[in-house]
Amino acid sequence: MVYNKIPFDVIVCGAGHAGVEAALAASRMGASTLLLTGNIDTIAQMSCNPAIGGQAKGQMVREIDALGGEMAINADVTGIQFRLLNESKGQAVQAPRAQCDKKAYQFRLKHTLELQKNLQVFQATVTGLIFQSGKVVGCQTNLEIDFTGLTVVITTGTFLRGLMHIGQNKTEGGRMGDFSAKSLSGSLMEAGIQLERLKTGTPPRLLGRSLDFSKMVEQKGDANPTFFAFHDTRDPEDMFHVEHSCERRIGWAPGSKQVSCWMTHTTEQTAQLVRANLHKSAMYSGEIKGVGPRYCPSIEDKFVRFADKPRHLLFLEPEGRATNEYYVNGLSTSLPFDVQLDLVHSVPGLEDAQILRPAYAVEYDFAHPTQLFPSLESKKVENLFFAGQINGTSGYEEAAAQGLVAGVNAVNKVRATPPMLIQRNEGYIGVLIDDLVTKGTSEPYRMFTSRAEHRLLFNHGSAEFRFLDHSTKYSLLSANRLLNIKSKQSAVLRWVDFLERERTQGGTWAELIRRDRVGAAIPAGLSNETKAIQEEVIYRVSYQGYLVREQKQVEKLSQIEKIRIPHDFNYLSISGLRKESALKLADFKPMTLGQASRISGVNPSDISILMVMIGSGRGGDIV
Amino acid sequence: MPRPADTIAALATPAGTAALALLRISGPDTSRLAAEIFGATPPPRTARRGDYRARGGALVDDVLCIFFPESGSYTGEDALEISCHGNPFIAQAILEDLFARGCRPAGPGEFTQRAFLNGRMDLSQAEAVMDLIHARSERALAAANHLLRGGLGRRLNDLTERLLVALARIEAYIDFPDEDLPPEDRAIVRQALETIARETDRLLATSHYGELLRDGIKTVIIGAPNAGKSSLLNCLVGHERAIVSPEPGTTRDFIEERMIVGPHCLRLIDTAGLNPAPGAIEQLGMAKSLERAAEADLILLVLEANRPLPALPETLKSIITPTRTLAVVNKIDLLQGRPIGFAMPDDLPAVNVSALTGTGIDDLVLAITRFADSFQPVGKEDAIAINARHADALERARACLRDALEKLASDGPAELLASDLRGTLGAFGEIVGKVDNERMLDHLFSSFCIGK
Repeated sequence: MVYNKIPFDVIVCGAGHAGVEAALAASRMGASTLLLTGNIDTIAQMSCNPAIGGQAKGQMVREIDALGGEMAINADVTGIQFRLLNESKGQAVQAPRAQCDKKAYQFRLKHTLELQKNLQVFQATVTGLIFQSGKVVGCQTNLEIDFTGLTVVITTGTFLRGLMHIGQNKTEGGRMGDFSAKSLSGSLMEAGIQLERLKTGTPPRLLGRSLDFSKMVEQKGDANPTFFAFHDTRDPEDMFHVEHSCERRIGWAPGSKQVSCWMTHTTEQTAQLVRANLHKSAMYSGEIKGVGPRYCPSIEDKFVRFADKPRHLLFLEPEGRATNEYYVNGLSTSLPFDVQLDLVHSVPGLEDAQILRPAYAVEYDFAHPTQLFPSLESKKVENLFFAGQINGTSGYEEAAAQGLVAGVNAVNKVRATPPMLIQRNEGYIGVLIDDLVTKGTSEPYRMFTSRAEHRLLFNHGSAEFRFLDHSTKYSLLSANRLLNIKSKQSAVLRWVDFLERERTQGGTWAELIRRDRVGAAIPAGLSNETKAIQEEVIYRVSYQGYLVREQKQVEKLSQIEKIRIPHDFNYLSISGLRKESALKLADFKPMTLGQASRISGVNPSDISILMVMIGSGRGGDIV
Repeated sequence: MPRPADTIAALATPAGTAALALLRISGPDTSRLAAEIFGATPPPRTARRGDYRARGGALVDDVLCIFFPESGSYTGEDALEISCHGNPFIAQAILEDLFARGCRPAGPGEFTQRAFLNGRMDLSQAEAVMDLIHARSERALAAANHLLRGGLGRRLNDLTERLLVALARIEAYIDFPDEDLPPEDRAIVRQALETIARETDRLLATSHYGELLRDGIKTVIIGAPNAGKSSLLNCLVGHERAIVSPEPGTTRDFIEERMIVGPHCLRLIDTAGLNPAPGAIEQLGMAKSLERAAEADLILLVLEANRPLPALPETLKSIITPTRTLAVVNKIDLLQGRPIGFAMPDDLPAVNVSALTGTGIDDLVLAITRFADSFQPVGKEDAIAINARHADALERARACLRDALEKLASDGPAELLASDLRGTLGAFGEIVGKVDNERMLDHLFSSFCIGK
């Protein structure tokens, strides 16, 4: 049957971290939205470690909050341990990280979705897409119920032909205990979308009461926790209530009653076990074809690639307040279960550990993200958007960021308004999307601060200012919050100006701050401002020279970023363009000259020629 | 179309020695630059003679300049054309000064491209422009490849690789603070950066452009008191053109002038006279003269035609070798037909002149040119490798390295240190091609075990 006569504005397929942000963003913009998930009980599940944030990711979560996403506040009110990473390294690269209560995190998000106006959630597995003259117009499900929609966002994570490996044992599924979406891949390939395989893995989960924590080192949360959401500009109601319902959602005061993680390490015995059983590992026996991430190696990889490193650190992370389950960070493996047992028992504190769930590796389909526009819409199929792990990324935060952008742009597409395009120089989300759609990826893509050439401009506290134009233009935040951000911004600018101008003993305030750095004196009026304002002001003043330098580079580069290339631009008809470049450009269909310039193999003279041709009035205009 | 925000400058005439060289400047800052350099923006479309003074105030050349306001220029932007004397060093000195004042070296075909973008050409002309851009950049690319296959490219690629390793060491601790990394060892990074800085210095110093432009061919005039050393210097300088005069920090005992001889730049240093029976103070001056002579690229040994050969200090004898010494037999006007009364020591090549009347100065200039030619590395690719753009990039790389080393010394924040290293990488990249961050990550993941 066809469920709906009037098509939904947006249908989101998959309710992981990308899907929930896509659905919330779309429905909050007022679009009628349907969220389809194979299992309502696993909405926003943290399939890997029970933590949000960390280096580069933490900054990205703050950016998600600045664009009206839910991840930040959800992590804050279900967080059970908070730490600010890189406290000693300098403000630009400081990043918040939190352990979250896995179930509370899911339940709160599920509840939020349920209470969201304009949003309908339905449990069914999407088995295929419905196309009509090159456009997507809806999807089919395993229940033989079809849904029609003006746009469809695919956020299927690792579920497309997911195949899990434990040694030689293979199970179909995108996650332990869950199903595999097999037929959707076929539907995508039919539409001309290229799919490839990637691999990722997850460690075993252990029972807490079988562990001896006295043999481990405790890692506590920060006494003064740093949160993800901008609580200083948000309505305090945001945390536990939903505007239209007054129902109270699960959660607790951020930072209250923190719990600890525990550190231990592998031993010589662990190393021997790994080496002796290497041939049984799914990874090393050739069972797995997909490419795994360099930054998240299995324990097999660690002992093989870093043979001279005698031991590796392991972290025991609690999965929640109301469970005794622990995640063993650092022990990802695809070795058979019996070897896993021996491995675990070779670790100090884990001698008598009971495994609740074994470690496994999972292979899955991903669609090359170079097949997308920076709006995350498919170049091959109109009205079809992709976000999250399906695009070859890894990590909840990367997924959520893309989901948010795809959701917003699906609505823009329906309304025929220009897409929200976040530039590389605006934040990590911009870097993420530009890297994906321009360069693609050959391993699960994870954000690092080093990927951002303008990292110094991306300190986590400035996310709201950096995205203010977008959040205003697309009405992503409440009117009240927008006002709060604007007044916060003017306070920051006023203080920066004051410090640069006003003199005190020995020079201007700014000069003294730059000289003394930490512990520099500040005027009394500034110390009365909020901590957020103070930190931003001090950051801008103490890094002034560097920020100016970066800003100059940004301006220089943004010239060509602003020049749009018409969608139907005929590269092959241009006489001066090298054939190789023309073919590449025709394949990639870059949206702007800036994007074209980052495609490998396209050289500056090609860009000059394009600039001339676009300027000649054969289409092309300024964004 | 957006208007280009920057101002570009380039030599419009072919590089090399000629009667004149033409430099072009185009962009929004042109008018301001003209006012800065010449005191006031010249009236539109009128040739004006003026002194080109570098930022420090030093006179570079007297030039002819024409200002074209955007309404009537080739590019459709404010533009300035400067005609200077056709010596590559003058043109380079002016270009370098323009870059220091904020201009950017123009890319291939960029003036034409701007002309098109500003509506100065129609589409049919644009087709021709594109072929031009293409052809020029291909040629530039071929030329660049040729250079980069040589020493410069190899060395810069090597430096880039070492820089990536150093950067990976810093980035690992920024991006993976929670990992089980060995304690951070910044001493290794410092050593690496010091080496890279030294190598960069060497590249800059050995560069044809860098050394000869900045320092010129060090030419020391040496001889007995009253042999006519100063007259010779004045005569040479008056005969040719001195481009830079007083040098701050020069020892007062020495008079130093720069002059252009053919395609070469000479740094002429006059020294105190060599007295066979010196007093204490003179001895000090003489020691310094000898020191100068020992460092010289070229020594002009001034002898008096009408007097016997003076007794030269023992230490000087080992310095005045025929490969770098030219005997200048002065005062031939006093001989009045009589032969020179001495044999040339060590068979030094000699030129007879009269600094007073100017006789023989042309021959001297010719002889000096021949000497200078022989100093030029022949057939070495490095000789042409470092042009103004390369030197500009290397100087910026060097400045970033200096900042980075300062931060290492003062234990500055890692993120700023990384920013400096990326600045260096970017500058190297302008010569050998952009470095993708993936290469840094490759180093990072192969040297550190990352991943919990």
